Amino acid sequence: MMRRRFCATVVAGCLTLAGAARAQAPSGDEDLPAIRISGAGAELLRLAVPRAEGDGESARTATDTMSKDADVSGFFQVLDPGSFPQQLVGEGLAFSSALWSQVGAQAVVKMKASGGSLEGRLYVVARGDTPTLSKKYSAGDVREAVHEFMNDVLQSFTGTRGVFGSRIAYAQTGRGSHEIAVVDMDGGRNAVVTKMQSDCLLPAFSPGGGDIAFTSYLRDNPDLWIVSAAGGRARRVSKQPGMNTGAAWAPDGSIVLTLSHEGNAELYRISPADGAVRARLTNNPAIDSSPTFSPDGSQIAFVSNRQGSPQIFVMSASGGAAKRVTFQGKYNQTPRWNPDPKKPYIAFTGRDERGVFDVFYIDVKSQQVTRITQGKGSNLDPSWSPDGRLLVYASSRGGLFVANPETRHEVQITRGGAASPSWGPAPRH
Amino acid sequence: MERFEIRRGRRGNSAGLLVTLALHGGVLAAVAVAHGKEQPPLVVQHDYVSAEMVKLGKPRDKFWLPRITQPPPPKAPPDTLKVSEDPNAKAAPKEAPKPEDKTIKKDLRNALDRARKLAALAEPEDPDEGSLSGSALGTSNQAIGDQYLASIKGLLLQNYNLPAGMAPDSIPSPPEIRFRFTDDGTIFDVKLTKPSGNPLVDDACVDAAKLAHKVPPPPSTFKKRGISVACDK
Repeated sequence: MMRRRFCATVVAGCLTLAGAARAQAPSGDEDLPAIRISGAGAELLRLAVPRAEGDGESARTATDTMSKDADVSGFFQVLDPGSFPQQLVGEGLAFSSALWSQVGAQAVVKMKASGGSLEGRLYVVARGDTPTLSKKYSAGDVREAVHEFMNDVLQSFTGTRGVFGSRIAYAQTGRGSHEIAVVDMDGGRNAVVTKMQSDCLLPAFSPGGGDIAFTSYLRDNPDLWIVSAAGGRARRVSKQPGMNTGAAWAPDGSIVLTLSHEGNAELYRISPADGAVRARLTNNPAIDSSPTFSPDGSQIAFVSNRQGSPQIFVMSASGGAAKRVTFQGKYNQTPRWNPDPKKPYIAFTGRDERGVFDVFYIDVKSQQVTRITQGKGSNLDPSWSPDGRLLVYASSRGGLFVANPETRHEVQITRGGAASPSWGPAPRH
Repeated sequence: MERFEIRRGRRGNSAGLLVTLALHGGVLAAVAVAHGKEQPPLVVQHDYVSAEMVKLGKPRDKFWLPRITQPPPPKAPPDTLKVSEDPNAKAAPKEAPKPEDKTIKKDLRNALDRARKLAALAEPEDPDEGSLSGSALGTSNQAIGDQYLASIKGLLLQNYNLPAGMAPDSIPSPPEIRFRFTDDGTIFDVKLTKPSGNPLVDDACVDAAKLAHKVPPPPSTFKKRGISVACDK
């Protein structure tokens, strides 16, 4: 009896000790201290572009175009295909997420090209072996088909379609005379559209992308001309005595530019058909130039030295009082309004305290100025892509550069002298 | 008379000893009772520090255009050792010091030395910009809440990167992870506890902990050996 009572006491004691020990043991996940992190950095997505399947030339073009597009977009780090093991190179359109994750890829694009048609597949390694996007494209040539595929890839990752297939007009400089040229945003299909053998400058794409307005000294005066974006014979639109420069197309198809026929450089609205002056928008003893429209066309940003040094001002599209928006820097010029209404940014060329010209943008609402370029020569005349995510600008390094302001990834798209680029509208989908 | 006093003294000593023992016993008992009582739980304040690094330097003119602040360039790697493919090859002779060019005259050498010293004294091209009250290493302008959790948050943030261009609506709800760490702060057992619905976002949250590798060794007041983390954009 005593022994039984002793055993019961020992067992009860052990159970009590076990309970106490459990109370002291590490607690479950729900008891852990919780923190919340926000303000993530932006990282380029590691994208693998293995060689496309299909006939030799088309496959090579498809691979090269996709790699360049991914680079220009500023959202991807294109992995070196030389680092892919043989079993992945010969994988075809099939996909093994386990193998690709070993290469370090986060996403893989697979393509099969033949003539102008393309079969494209996008795989996200973390999502397994099923493609996130699988689509067939049929276009005039394989480059266009790849641009379409890339636009869909961007849609898949960012929620917004890309604008590959859009074109950039610019003044090709450095060969005596300056001509207007047009180039794809990835640097392909670079073609001169004027053959005027004079100084042609400041091109501006029309809203539909069919025409380019520019200033030429062909008749010994800076007149405004319009040429088809496909090239051909240019026509002189505005030939007022003095300046006819810095044209900006309004969403309604009219043109605002700087004229000086009344003695001082002011902003006017003219008809692109015959150059007839419809309205004078500024009236100030200072020089007013470089107009650019807000996305809804209700406001114009422009450059004026009415308060001393050249600064950027904003006024109603019908003229009237102007409000200064830049207060940092003593020499700010060439404003370009972001076409995305959700991004109230105006990009501009600014001269910093060291006398170097670089590309900046200002948030019109917060007045915050952000620098895009620094320490790489002089960088001038920014122009936004039609989706407002990229900037193109001319550089003293020679050529045009495209930068993604979010990631600061920069790619050179043309070589040789270039000035005053103007990004055309998004391609029709 | 003397004997009486001695006897009385002995009686008094015994009584005093008893009183002393009783008092000490009472104190010991009180201490034991006090220690036996359950301690109130340690309250750890979970607000973390929102710190801002204030660099020492001359404040930048507010009317100047901004500059891009970049981290200092990485140090040059040490010279790599070239290993001979032939195991029996003789060791390469040590490079002999170059003979001094005697054509350079003494006064020219002195001038060059002076120029080098002046160059060393010259101001760097990019003087540090910051606050006159800052520190070369940066200081915190706030010090509230739980510094330990704040330091963990800072470490995770350094490694928290989402794919560029990701639309906010591609993150339906922030993912949550939890990880454990050893007494020396080594992170292990990183687990995704609440997926966001976007594997790239989930990966970024998990990678923030995995790439951090270690958190600072927890202080003695911090009893837990794990953290739960929610990753916002």
